[in-house]
Amino acid sequence: MSDLLARLSAVPYRPHVVTDAANEDYDRQLREFVAYLKQPGLIPSTSDPNEYLQALSPSKNSLSFLYLLRFQIQQAQKRTKRDLPDSIQPGGNLWNLAVRFLRSFDPIQIRYSLDEWRQLVDLVASAAVTSSKAVLGLKATRDALERLSPSGIFTSTHLLLVKLALHSSAYTYALPITDQLLCHFPTDTEHVHHEYFLCSEQAPNTALVTDASGISAKLSYRDHLQYFLYSAMIYMALKKWTQASRCLNVVIASPTANAVSKIMVEAYKKWILANLLGQGKIPSTPKMISPHVIRVYQSLARPYISLAEAFEKGDLYKMSNEIDLGQAIWQADKNTGLVSQLFEAFDKFVIVKLGRTFSALTIADVLQRTSSSPKCPREIEEFVASLVMSNSMRASLSHSPDDNGTTMLRLSLGSQTHPFYREEHIRAKLMRAKTALDTIAQGVTQTDQTLELSQENLQFLAKSQKWSVSAEKVVSSGDIGGGDIDEDLMGDGQ
Amino acid sequence: MDLPPLSLDQLSAVLSTVPTSADLYNTLSDYEEQACLISAKEVELLSVFYTTFFFSHLLTDQIEEARALTKRMPQPILQTDSIQNCLLLLRAVWQRKHAGIYKILRELPWPNRAQSVVRSYENYFQQKTLNEVSNSYEAIKPAAAATYLGLDPALAQQGDQETIQKFTACGWKWDPETQLLHPNPVITAPPKDNGLQTELSRVMALISH
Repeated sequence: MSDLLARLSAVPYRPHVVTDAANEDYDRQLREFVAYLKQPGLIPSTSDPNEYLQALSPSKNSLSFLYLLRFQIQQAQKRTKRDLPDSIQPGGNLWNLAVRFLRSFDPIQIRYSLDEWRQLVDLVASAAVTSSKAVLGLKATRDALERLSPSGIFTSTHLLLVKLALHSSAYTYALPITDQLLCHFPTDTEHVHHEYFLCSEQAPNTALVTDASGISAKLSYRDHLQYFLYSAMIYMALKKWTQASRCLNVVIASPTANAVSKIMVEAYKKWILANLLGQGKIPSTPKMISPHVIRVYQSLARPYISLAEAFEKGDLYKMSNEIDLGQAIWQADKNTGLVSQLFEAFDKFVIVKLGRTFSALTIADVLQRTSSSPKCPREIEEFVASLVMSNSMRASLSHSPDDNGTTMLRLSLGSQTHPFYREEHIRAKLMRAKTALDTIAQGVTQTDQTLELSQENLQFLAKSQKWSVSAEKVVSSGDIGGGDIDEDLMGDGQ
Repeated sequence: MDLPPLSLDQLSAVLSTVPTSADLYNTLSDYEEQACLISAKEVELLSVFYTTFFFSHLLTDQIEEARALTKRMPQPILQTDSIQNCLLLLRAVWQRKHAGIYKILRELPWPNRAQSVVRSYENYFQQKTLNEVSNSYEAIKPAAAATYLGLDPALAQQGDQETIQKFTACGWKWDPETQLLHPNPVITAPPKDNGLQTELSRVMALISH
């Protein structure tokens, strides 16, 4: 056992000084180590892999730990003839080891065994779901994804994560992943930048994570759409309408060959509702959507469009009618919850719109112009006060001195804002501008590097250009002389 | 790092040591995993844990996620007094029923182990409301102000000096002629906006790639 343990815990040396030669050496060692771990019969049937696992560190011996853990899980599956034996269920011995590993593995080492890593994540997630503890699978999956950090690359694990979040009703835990920008699929093996080593920390993930690496199960067009639709549903559950709308935009603006998928139509319906709830109106559809796709959306989501028209026009009677008529549709589309929020949003946006016409009005006047449900002046005042107090509208309230006097609502407070308050906001705006400039500067530097526009490279290019200009001059003078270029160059040199 | 096992004593230790509400929320989020693995028979421990965790959501203004938490709590504890009180409180907070919120916090029975977090939330909610009222009202009747801040509206309406003093101590002005309070706006730094940076980073990332 001691020989095998010594070999398993012999971590390939990771270079401190990053050079191509050092990376090449480390890359070779890791590849050899993985080949060694993949040998059939590596673990003698008489030995207990658990002893090895206890002796190994998941953060230092990540590859050994992962292979041994997978081996032990397979053994347990064979022994119990079950895909998910008790020991891999939450709280079991293998579960604890798996979760410990997913929270502490070395992401560089794991780049050499992404397939095994993904299979472990999938197993942990399905064990959590089958034992009705999806939240445990969600947290482990999120931590594993954050640790691996395949930034910008969409994988099947991303889709798994949002499904787990919706399944467990634990939305905030998914935000660190859903907030990330995803703009790549695992790179096609044929288009990999072969100049990078897998262990290189400088190399962009797109150059390292390929479809052949196993980081993701086979992805389809549907998976991509589902991920953004489910992410939008997470944001909607948290009433983050802007983010929800952004995700839904991705779905409805996805390229189509001929037919529009059901997911896209579903997303379009939710897109209408999310925008009504967040902005009180439907923005124009993204320009990249072709007109025939928009026509399909509009014909398939007609009840939603009629509802939105009534909402935008402030026609409460028509909106209520549309909502009543469409009950079966909202229910079938599972949008009843969103539609039911429209009444409060209607009141909110009607009151906010009053600010465009009036600078001040009494609560009685507000009551006359709004209210989707019968409210008394006290209730409408509470509602308006809640809008003002939550900063949903810029206004102030003022009680009148007499006992029966009404409350005054003053809108459009731009000029009346407290000077100190204004100063704070100007300061915050300046800070935001500074942050923006810093981010842009950082991005420009990064882009320069990516496009090889670094200072050193520019100097080199300038020198090369100078050299070629002087060479051209020589060539030109040579031409005038009518001699051969090579000869003239040689002549200049003389 | 492995957390010490979840127990009533450990919960009390966490409540007395964490410096901020965000830390309390983060620590209890980590403990949620242990709570999921505890037998449903441990009703007291689970009830106190989920009550405390629920309040940590309110203390960090995560009302929607607090609602989601109530949907994933283990079934057996949903009927406990403490969790039922949480559900009533959630409804009152959701509907911004200030009088109801103070009543629930002060008058309903809460587990002894959760008393400190309940009191923390009461103070937090009162202070938050004070800031909101200060920035929203130019003039307010004492009874309305008292309702917002969990004071006795009847006493305030009668011009009770002690109650009025509580408002003037916050910088508000009392006009005895009109019997109105004039709040003093609270200058708070606008919330830090990370959205812009995220959006710009996205654009720059797209350009870079």
